[in-house]
Amino acid sequence: MRNLIYPLFLFFLCSNAQTKMDIAEANSLKNMVKKQATATTTLSADFVQTKHLDFLSDDIITKGKLAFKAPDWVKWEYVDPFRYRILFKDGTMYVDDSGNKSQMDMGGNKLFEQLNQLIINSVKGDMFQEKEFDITYYKKGDDSEVHFEPKNKNLVKYIKAFHLIFNPEGEVIQVKMIEPSGDYTLIAFSNRTVNKTLPDAVFIP
Amino acid sequence: MRYLSLNHLVILLLLVSCGSYPRNNDLTETEIAAKKILNPYFSDPSKDYVYKGGITLQKKEFGGLFIVKKLGPDRHRVVFTTEMGNKILDFSFNGDRFIVNYLLEEMDKKILVNILKRDFKVLITEDFPVLRTFRKNNQEIFETENDKKKYYYLYRNGQLGKIIRTSGKKEKTEYLFSGVHDNTAKRIGISHKDIPLHINLFHINLKEIK
Repeated sequence: MRNLIYPLFLFFLCSNAQTKMDIAEANSLKNMVKKQATATTTLSADFVQTKHLDFLSDDIITKGKLAFKAPDWVKWEYVDPFRYRILFKDGTMYVDDSGNKSQMDMGGNKLFEQLNQLIINSVKGDMFQEKEFDITYYKKGDDSEVHFEPKNKNLVKYIKAFHLIFNPEGEVIQVKMIEPSGDYTLIAFSNRTVNKTLPDAVFIP
Repeated sequence: MRYLSLNHLVILLLLVSCGSYPRNNDLTETEIAAKKILNPYFSDPSKDYVYKGGITLQKKEFGGLFIVKKLGPDRHRVVFTTEMGNKILDFSFNGDRFIVNYLLEEMDKKILVNILKRDFKVLITEDFPVLRTFRKNNQEIFETENDKKKYYYLYRNGQLGKIIRTSGKKEKTEYLFSGVHDNTAKRIGISHKDIPLHINLFHINLKEIK
């Protein structure tokens, strides 16, 4: 029995393993993703958000739609199990909470500004700023996984790391934001549509 | 003599102004029907209690998810996150021990933390000894005391619908529970009478979307 368990364990380990990329592989991924990000003028996708809190029995799952228009308009629209919309546009954050609308000038809040920039960059996949992050590159089957650990002391208080998964085409398919406590928010994208005309009306607060 | 008169006047004024909440609200005292007040709304350790809601403080609104988990007898974790998952606050209540695991800098004000701590403690505390019992309009009202303040628990048909925190005869804070099903309140509202702080929560049934 033990003879059987060991190879099975090894297989399980290997099938889930992620190996570090060498410099050439990392550069190639970086270039591909940057090329993708630069060429992306619009993006829409469905998303499933999983909030993991260690003390809960189940993760909290919410679903919605994402819309992005270059250079920096981003709309997250949650539809299930509640309706909530958050729009980042021209330095302002607009919230529509089931019809209850509010807005906030992000200029007065450096954290929100930073978070918004990170959201935009992570949606596009373009977060390869070595000044801002310690970056580690991994291969994960056909996909790539990149870990970004913020260097900014203020940001470190809120986020320990971002883990982004890219498909072989260099598109970001999953973003995981890990808090210092180890709790995390994982956003998985599906039905991605890139560079299809998105009317400005989509981004009306 | 003049000195004494002034003292008497002050005492008289105090007596008139103090009163008590039951007297001011025409509550009829009855025999004590139960020894303990029971609040079942966050008492099931097998449940993850998740509410969508908001904290309104003056003109500032903090919207998000209010999450409560009972982790053991007299142990609760209370977390408030934004809809996008960022934590706003994370408190642990272990009996009389209170731990701030995380708090957004913007909310890190001692007075606010103490008020939130007290409000959440009221929500999660499952039982208190009954001091007096009253009745009014088909409601059973139980009086108890915590931190030298009187609390009134209002029940209709055996279901807790309201908790009132008082100071003297005045209502200070009101905790409202409605849409109760299977010991879970669909809606919870906390309203402060003397400070511009309101909390409104709507229960989310997460099982529905799995």
